[in-house]
Amino acid sequence: MLIPWRYRKRENSFIQSFDPRAWLIFYICFLFSALAFWDMRFLLPFFAAALFVLFTSGVKWHEIRRAFLFIVGFVFFFAMLTFLTGRGGVEHYTEEHLIHRFQASFSILGWVPTLDITVERVVYALSQFLRVGSMAIMTILIPYSLNPALYGITFKGLGLNDKFAYAMDLTMRFIPTFARDFQLTVDAQRARGYELEKFSGGLIEQVRKMGPIFVPVVIHAIIGSEDIIDAMDLRAFGVGPRTWIDVLERKQRDRILIGFGVALLVLSLALGIFGYGGFWVPETFLRLAGG
Amino acid sequence: MPNPPLVIENLSFRYRDRQETAIRNISFEAQPGEVLLIAGASGCGKTTLIRCINGLIPRSYKGEMTGSVRVFGEDTSTWKLAQISQKIGTVLQDPERQILGTKVLNEVAFGLENLGLPRDEILERVDEALRLLKIFHLRERETFTLSGGEKQKVALAGVLAMRPSILLLDEPLASLDPASALDALDTARFLADQGMTILMVEHRVEDVLRIQPERVMFMSGGEIRYLGSLSGLSKVVNYREVKLRAEEIVERARQDPPPAEIRILPGAAGKGESEALVKFEDVAFGYESDVEVLHGINLEIRRGDVIAVLGPNGAGKTTFVKHAIGLLKPKRGRVLVNGRDTRESSVAQIASTLGYVFQSPSHMLFAPTVREELSFGPKNLRHSEEQIEQEVKEALRIVNLSDKEQDPPLALSFGQQKRVSIAAILAMQSRILVMDEPTAGQDYQNYMNFMDSILQLPSFEAILFITHDVDLAVIYANRVLIVNDGRLIADGKPQDVLRDFDQLKANRLVPTSLLALNLEHFPATGRFMKAEALAHI
Repeated sequence: MLIPWRYRKRENSFIQSFDPRAWLIFYICFLFSALAFWDMRFLLPFFAAALFVLFTSGVKWHEIRRAFLFIVGFVFFFAMLTFLTGRGGVEHYTEEHLIHRFQASFSILGWVPTLDITVERVVYALSQFLRVGSMAIMTILIPYSLNPALYGITFKGLGLNDKFAYAMDLTMRFIPTFARDFQLTVDAQRARGYELEKFSGGLIEQVRKMGPIFVPVVIHAIIGSEDIIDAMDLRAFGVGPRTWIDVLERKQRDRILIGFGVALLVLSLALGIFGYGGFWVPETFLRLAGG
Repeated sequence: MPNPPLVIENLSFRYRDRQETAIRNISFEAQPGEVLLIAGASGCGKTTLIRCINGLIPRSYKGEMTGSVRVFGEDTSTWKLAQISQKIGTVLQDPERQILGTKVLNEVAFGLENLGLPRDEILERVDEALRLLKIFHLRERETFTLSGGEKQKVALAGVLAMRPSILLLDEPLASLDPASALDALDTARFLADQGMTILMVEHRVEDVLRIQPERVMFMSGGEIRYLGSLSGLSKVVNYREVKLRAEEIVERARQDPPPAEIRILPGAAGKGESEALVKFEDVAFGYESDVEVLHGINLEIRRGDVIAVLGPNGAGKTTFVKHAIGLLKPKRGRVLVNGRDTRESSVAQIASTLGYVFQSPSHMLFAPTVREELSFGPKNLRHSEEQIEQEVKEALRIVNLSDKEQDPPLALSFGQQKRVSIAAILAMQSRILVMDEPTAGQDYQNYMNFMDSILQLPSFEAILFITHDVDLAVIYANRVLIVNDGRLIADGKPQDVLRDFDQLKANRLVPTSLLALNLEHFPATGRFMKAEALAHI
């Protein structure tokens, strides 16, 4: 069964008003630009821009809810994890200003569990949330907004050769089918009493226990790929330069978007080189710690 | 006299990694406007022959090839695949795997794009192919929205757009519901009548006979055992190997002793009436919150039931059955297994009562040995080591695979893999067996033997299977459900449900010769049976 991709043509969608090549170039510039900063003052505009793209994308909440909650949950989880453990931000700050210390009333072999809430950890978690959140929002919108029928010609238009461009197209076409096969295998094994949710043991043990899922999925993919290769061979794929019937047209607004994206990237990299945009702790937060 | 479109001379082939020859000394000609049906059991060499003709052998599949394939008098051995594909078009068995484009237009244009034709010519040829198959209205549709029959036609359009003179169809009916299968056959007949040469590999011989193929080839052990007119086929082949029309089987089977009586569900016999093993109460479900795909299903599965679930592609049959094992939970209503709501039970808990065999064994087989594969389920259900030992041995004995205990399941033949997947459920001591398309991918003789043995297993108290094959329902079921558009359209004894031909047609089911013959003899027999058994009434 072919599985629906998330793309739909949407009314008044900002993201869909651009040529997909222009949007992909802008998207890549956006990602690398966001990566250049840890300063919340710089990251906030990125987050705001991502929210703007989200709210003007025309994607309905019920369509995106599950994926969105997963991504936000994932980002939130990791931001909280670094916050609670205090790991991850140490390369950005050397001194910490304590706001509050939670200390357990018991000890384990002489060690008293302690959680320090410091200004730096709070700011780092917020910065990480803004940084990863803005990139995640921009990424999640792609399968909902860019027409999968145009992936091939888009990558071709970005300068890739025919084979590679079509391989990208084909990958996009078969990702949902692969996901369907994965779900079928999970269902087939659950019907044999296999309970994914009851995994225990170390990492290696857990990977080993995933064998009943991974082996059939891989085998099925290999069997399926034989048919796909036959189907492509039988219709003369790769014998020479191919024609692409879809035609993409680059308009003025696309050029502006590309120009804006490239300028943003150059500016961000330049700011980084000159020492701007690094980790920044607001004075107001320091006052919370009495510092 | 012009050269015939296809001439095969003394063709033999052995795959590089196998010792035995896949096909031997195949010679025949095919004429314009001819439909040549190629039949035979799994592994008889049909697919290898097709690969030799379309050039995949020896270009993609390496091995030793002798003899020649000539197209309009020219030997194709020196041709490039791109050249062959413009003369010989191939539609593979599963259109799902053949469809590469996300949109119908892109899919049909794929081959022409690869040939580097000008864009205008491509669009012209795409439209021509779509119009020829009367599917121009699908041009802008996304391929995932197509029905099974539409996918088949789109895959065919993609091939026809390359304007081949010869068309190879590899089991074109395999994944289609009966009405879509008839439609596909009519298309093949139409194309042949336009002058195309069509070679059709198909297990469902009886269905293909409806379009009167000019000739039939029957292959066995890599050789041609019969090549000739339709009328001669039934005299030459064993009616247990090829599914012939019921009247022909009756004619032939009269000379043989009557077939052994099948003792259906011996495990359920003598246990008397029971409470419902499974109960659906006003079950509704939707994958998306605002779209319902199952609507108010009410049904009970009782001890002794052998239920065939019929219905068109996409009717909701699998969605319905997945509720019984708890893989899906109803949005409205409830499903009770052994009196307990599936919402309150894990799938693992339900699995000890109800075993579900998926359509393709490759979706579940993973273990290094058959033994480990079979012990997987019982281990998950926390059976003791001694118990598992006993269950595995017993399951292997029942499916007749005791000698394969230490073999890797993935190295077995498809039929054996299917039996391993059943044994995996047997080992869990489930009382109800649910099978999705149990005969898919197997030839006639194999799947009839398979069904005979499954139905006679002592372990099950009820069996439910999803199928497109009306004859399976006729022969094996004592209860038939028709599901369409997420609704239970009919539920009753086969002789009651399958008698209503209008209802069958409305649900894309096609009455078969066996059904007609059984209905005719029903006043005397009082039940439906195999054609071989009818021969002795």
